Amino acid sequence: MNTFEALLLALLILMVLVGGKQGISNFLALLINLLLMVVAVVLIAGGFNAIGVAVVIGLSVLAATIFLSTSDGDVAATAFVASLLVMLLVLGVILIGTSLAHVQGFGPEDSEELEGYNLLIGVSFQNILVATALFSTLGAIAEAAVAVAAGMKELGRAATPPGLTKMGAEIIGTALNTLFFGFFGGFAGLFIWFAQLKYPFWEVLNNKIFAGELIAVLFSMIAVTLTVPLTMWVVSTREKGTQA
Amino acid sequence: MKKFCGRITSGKEWRWLLPLLVFAAVFGLAELDAPLYPQPLVRVTVATSARPQRQVDNFGNVDHTTAQKITGRLLNTRSRGQVVHFSNTFSASGALDVKLRRGQVVFVQRQNAGYQLQDVKRDGVVLGLLAATLTLMVLVIRRRAWLVVGSLLANVALLQVTLHLETSPANQQLAYVLFAGMAIVFTAVTTVFIAGFSRQAAVIAAATLGATALAVGLGYALFTVTHYRSLHIEAMNYVTQVPQLLFFVQIMIGSLGAVLDESNDIAVAVMQLPAAKKRRFQAGMAIGRNVMGPLIAVLFMIFIAETLSEAVLWLRNANALSQTFIWVMGLGFAQALVSAFGIVLAVPLTAGLATVIQRRPTHEHI
Repeated sequence: MNTFEALLLALLILMVLVGGKQGISNFLALLINLLLMVVAVVLIAGGFNAIGVAVVIGLSVLAATIFLSTSDGDVAATAFVASLLVMLLVLGVILIGTSLAHVQGFGPEDSEELEGYNLLIGVSFQNILVATALFSTLGAIAEAAVAVAAGMKELGRAATPPGLTKMGAEIIGTALNTLFFGFFGGFAGLFIWFAQLKYPFWEVLNNKIFAGELIAVLFSMIAVTLTVPLTMWVVSTREKGTQA
Repeated sequence: MKKFCGRITSGKEWRWLLPLLVFAAVFGLAELDAPLYPQPLVRVTVATSARPQRQVDNFGNVDHTTAQKITGRLLNTRSRGQVVHFSNTFSASGALDVKLRRGQVVFVQRQNAGYQLQDVKRDGVVLGLLAATLTLMVLVIRRRAWLVVGSLLANVALLQVTLHLETSPANQQLAYVLFAGMAIVFTAVTTVFIAGFSRQAAVIAAATLGATALAVGLGYALFTVTHYRSLHIEAMNYVTQVPQLLFFVQIMIGSLGAVLDESNDIAVAVMQLPAAKKRRFQAGMAIGRNVMGPLIAVLFMIFIAETLSEAVLWLRNANALSQTFIWVMGLGFAQALVSAFGIVLAVPLTAGLATVIQRRPTHEHI
C-alpha cells in the first residue's frame, strides 16, 4: 500500500466514524473532485482551451461539493444557483486581474524545478493561470454559499437586517481565516525563501510568484465576500417566486 | 429580510461600483510611484515585433516565439528621462516571458553600456486588488470588516517575526519547535479576534490545536508505516532548507484556518444551546458533519490548483499521467488529506469540549 492509499483509507474510516452516511458522501465528493481535477489537467494538456475546461469542470466541482455534502436539498439548490452566479462574476474579475498582472507560468524562483523541461509547449499559460485562479476559489464559494443558505433557512422569518449582516460577517470572517492559512500553508516555502535571501519589500511586491499568489488569495476573498449578499438575494428571490 | 435584500439590489446600487473605482484609483497612483524604487524603471514608448518564429520540440509541441525591439524612457534614478533601447523575446505560451506593450512599466538592469529587461512592474495590480477587496468587504459587512482585517494583519506580523527568528543561524535546530510555537500563537491570536477572551475562545483554540496535532501525528505515522512510498518530499518547491521541515510547516499551517473556522461554528452553536449535555453534543456533531465536506473541498482545491501549470508542463513533456500525479500533484494531495484529518477530527473534539466545559448558566460574558 502506498502512502496515498493509506491516507485515503484512514480518512474514509475517520469520516465514517464521525459522519456516518454523510461522511461517506463527503468522502465521495473528495474523490470526485480529485478525478475532476485530473481530468482538467489531462484536457488542458491535450490542447483544450484552459478557460473553457475550467468553467465546465468548475461547474461540476461546485455541483459535487454542494450536493454531496449537504443533506438538505433546498439549501443545496439555493447554494448551487448562488455559487454559479458568483463563479461567473469572479471569472470576470480574474480575467481582468490576470491580464494586467503578468503572473502566468513560472518565476525565476522556479528555475530549479524547470531544469531539463521544454517550456515552449504551445499551451497558453495565461489561460492556465485563469483556470488555476478559478479552481482555487471554488471550494471557498461552495462553502460560503452553503453556510449562508443554511443559516438563512434556520433564521427563517426571524431574520432582521442587522442579524443577517452579523451572520454574513461571521461567515466571511471565518472563511477568510481558512483562505489565509490555506494559501500560506501552500506557499510557506516561498516566504521562507524571501526571508532567507533577504528580498527587499519592493522586490517581493513585484515578484512574479508572490504577486500571483497574493492576487489568487484576493480573488478567493472577493469570491467569498460576493457569495454572501448574492446567496441572500437568491434565497429571497426564490421565496418571492414560490409565494407568487 | 426583504428590506435587507432590497438594500442590496435597489436604491444605492452605485455603491457596488466603488470597488472598481478604488481599484482604478490605486492602479493609477501606482503608475506614478517610480521615484520610490531604487531599481531603474522604464516606460515602454515603442514596441516593434518581428515575425513570429515557429518552434517545434522533440515531443511535437508547436509554439511561436517573437522578438521585440523596445524603446522606452527611464522613469527614475539619476538618468531619469533618458531614452533607452533593449530587446525582448516572448512566446505564445508565455511560461517565463511576456509580450511588452506601449505604456507598460518594466524593471531594467544596467548592463555594460545598455539596459536589459528584468521584470514587469506589478505593484499597481496587487495593491489595487487589495484595496478593492477591502472596499468590497466594508460594503458587505460594514464595521466588522476592520476586525477581520485586524486579525489578518496580526497574523502577517506574527509571520514576519517567526521568519526573522527562523532565518537567524542560531535558531536552525529549533526550527520545528519555532514553527509549532508559531502555530499555537496564530491560533491564540485568531481565536481572540473571533471570540474575545472567553470560555468559547478557549474551547475553540484547544480543539483547533488538538485536532491539528492529532492530524499531523496521524499523517506522519502513516507516512512512516508506508515508508513514504510514492510521496516524494524531495519534490518540494522553493526549498532553501530541509524539505522535510518545509513540508511539516505547510501541513501544520495549511489546515489551521479551516479547523479554526469549523471549531468556531460548532462551539458557538453548542455553547448557546440551553439543552442537556447529550443533546448539545449531538447538535455539535450535526453541525460539524454539515460543514466538514465543503471545508475539505476549500483546502483541496487550493492545494491542487496550485500544481496545475507544472502538471500541464510535465504532461506536455511526455511524462506519464501517473508519474505527473505522484511527483507534481502528490504533495498537494497529501497535504489536503492530512488537513482533512484535522477537519474531521475537530468535529468530535470541539463538540465534546464545548459540551463538557460549559457547565455554568449561559449568561456569562467575560
